[in-house]
Amino acid sequence: MSRFIELVGVSIAGLTARKVRTLLIMLGPILGVSAIIAAIGFSESSKGDLKSKLAELGTDLIVVSAQNTIGGVGGDPKLPVEAVARVDRLDTVAHVSAVIELPGIVTLPFEGSREFYQAFPVPVIAADGRLPAAVDVDVVSGRWLNDFDNANEARTAVIGVELAEEYAYQRNEVRTITLDGINYAVVGVLDKVELVPSLNTTVFIPPATAVADWGVEDEAPSRLYVRSPGATELTADVLPTVINLGGPEDVGVEVPSDLLETESQVDSTLTVLTIAMGVIALTVGGVGIANVMSISVIQRSGEIGIRRALGHSRATIAGQFLLEAIAVGVLGGVIGAVVGVAVVWALAELNDFVVVLNRQVIVLATVAAMLVSVLFGLYPSMKAARLEPLETLRLG
Amino acid sequence: MTTSPDVLAESGALLELDGVSRVYGVEVLVHALRDVDLKVMPGDFMSIVGPSGSGKSTMLGLLGLLDLPTSGSIRIGGVDATQLEDTERSRLRGDAIGFVFQQFHLIPHLTALGNVETALLYRGIKARDRRDRAMGALEQVGLGERYDHRPIQMSGGEQQRVALARAIVTEPLIVLADEPTGALDTENAANVMDIFGSLRSPDRAIVFVTHDLEIADLTDRKISMRDGQIVGDEQQVHETSTAR
Ligand SMILES: Nc1ncnc2c1ncn2[C@@H]1O[C@H](COP(=O)(O)OP(=O)(O)OP(=O)(O)O)[C@@H](O)[C@H]1O
Ligand SMILES: [Mg+2]
Repeated sequence: MSRFIELVGVSIAGLTARKVRTLLIMLGPILGVSAIIAAIGFSESSKGDLKSKLAELGTDLIVVSAQNTIGGVGGDPKLPVEAVARVDRLDTVAHVSAVIELPGIVTLPFEGSREFYQAFPVPVIAADGRLPAAVDVDVVSGRWLNDFDNANEARTAVIGVELAEEYAYQRNEVRTITLDGINYAVVGVLDKVELVPSLNTTVFIPPATAVADWGVEDEAPSRLYVRSPGATELTADVLPTVINLGGPEDVGVEVPSDLLETESQVDSTLTVLTIAMGVIALTVGGVGIANVMSISVIQRSGEIGIRRALGHSRATIAGQFLLEAIAVGVLGGVIGAVVGVAVVWALAELNDFVVVLNRQVIVLATVAAMLVSVLFGLYPSMKAARLEPLETLRLG
Repeated sequence: MTTSPDVLAESGALLELDGVSRVYGVEVLVHALRDVDLKVMPGDFMSIVGPSGSGKSTMLGLLGLLDLPTSGSIRIGGVDATQLEDTERSRLRGDAIGFVFQQFHLIPHLTALGNVETALLYRGIKARDRRDRAMGALEQVGLGERYDHRPIQMSGGEQQRVALARAIVTEPLIVLADEPTGALDTENAANVMDIFGSLRSPDRAIVFVTHDLEIADLTDRKISMRDGQIVGDEQQVHETSTAR
């Protein structure tokens, strides 16, 4: 052990004696490591806001939709009426909400806008009282549809936040909209549903009202919104069977956050490319180490010869030079990591990204720098060990 | 770590070349040393003389275990050093032998003290003891005050004295010097030779390779070489028993 400490001391003395050269050969690992960390850090940070959004939204929302016309009217796909009750029985389900699509209704914010809104119809759905809980979003204005609305087949409506913007709806304003000429009072605005953006431009009415006004036969839902924290995958898998005991193929299940998740994945070809670049930089740096150290070994042949004369073995000489290479790699790697992280911070700051730093990448890149320097330090170290001491000493 | 009398072979020699030849080159062969026998005895104060290219440095390198013979054996303390692993041979060299070269060969980035301490590395000696012993050796050559100086800050004579301190700090039984005064002026040469003289002891052998006949005349035993062979081995009698 003391022998190793002495060897480290000798190597450090050798490195600090030639500061400029040491710095130059350190440039290789510094560039390689910082390039890898900066490239990966930057591409990950560019998706960082998506990732943090995902973390905020959660990944436990499941959308269940009917795929055929069982129990439906006029060809509209419907789930069984008992679907909500069946899903609610699952332990893994926290919230479930049923909605019925009401296609073909022309919604108008005011008279005289008929042309425009017929061309771009606004979806109307009948939603139960549990929808805000299921999609984990509250109302930003007014209130949600309640049991009283439903029991009285009230002509009340809640509108999506984007629709409210489009209609220039003011907070808590008393406003009437017309659905195919029937007036509905707007009682609230649902906040933005990031995971299901279509809800942001939707008009929601009570299910009983839908049955009364729009010829819906029963409250068989078109879709269910299911919240299942902690067991999303599992729940999503069993839902079709649970809902449609006869033929699960009629039930479509989707986890909307999956899409976001895919989107937030860093482009793998780009990552491979940047890693390849960093590896090349590291390798070139390694070749630089081998090169400069080989020259150094020749220049220091006198030192090597006299050390051998003083009783240092070939292995000790090899160790001395290998340690110099390792020190260059470790120090260069650490400096490179610091530089790389600083670059990521700076770029993220400039672009308003959320900084994402992959600790694994930082450690791996630094270790890689060390391994490269060991690998490329091996040749000059062997060369130093193989020098014939007498030949380097007899000179003169 | 101390060199002990077990280095002595039954023959009583510290070092023994037995039928040693050294051939250099692969295609063009240079017979630098041809079938040489030599015993270096404790207390020897010996010079090796001969024309340039006669094999003096080659023989010194072999005596110092810095090189291996093409054939023959080198016995040190009864052990055939040619049969040892590099690690063991290196250890033996570090323990038993001290070198001084014409070109000093100080390590330029180390101080005088650092250079002397280098001879004590990797032997399980505490840093503090290394330092104390190196200081002692520097004081012995009259350079105690210069311990902090780098080679570039010292004259040739001073550098050679540091090299001498480095050679003796391990208290070797054998000191081998190849033209130790070759790069020095008369005054510095005399100074260095004085130090060599002071290193003499009945246990220790001191061997010079030299062109300088005055130095050769100072020694008790003079080996003459020619064409890779020993052609003369004379005992020289001086008025006083020490070479002063
Ligand atoms: N590495 C080598 N490769 C080939 N030939 C060598 C090598 N080293 C020495 N020689 C040759 O071996 C012979 C003996 O060399 P050596 O250095 O021992 O002579 P020397 O007596 O010390 O000479 P000098 O007085 O000039 O120092 C010379 O002919 C030399 O050219
Ligand atoms: Mg010579």
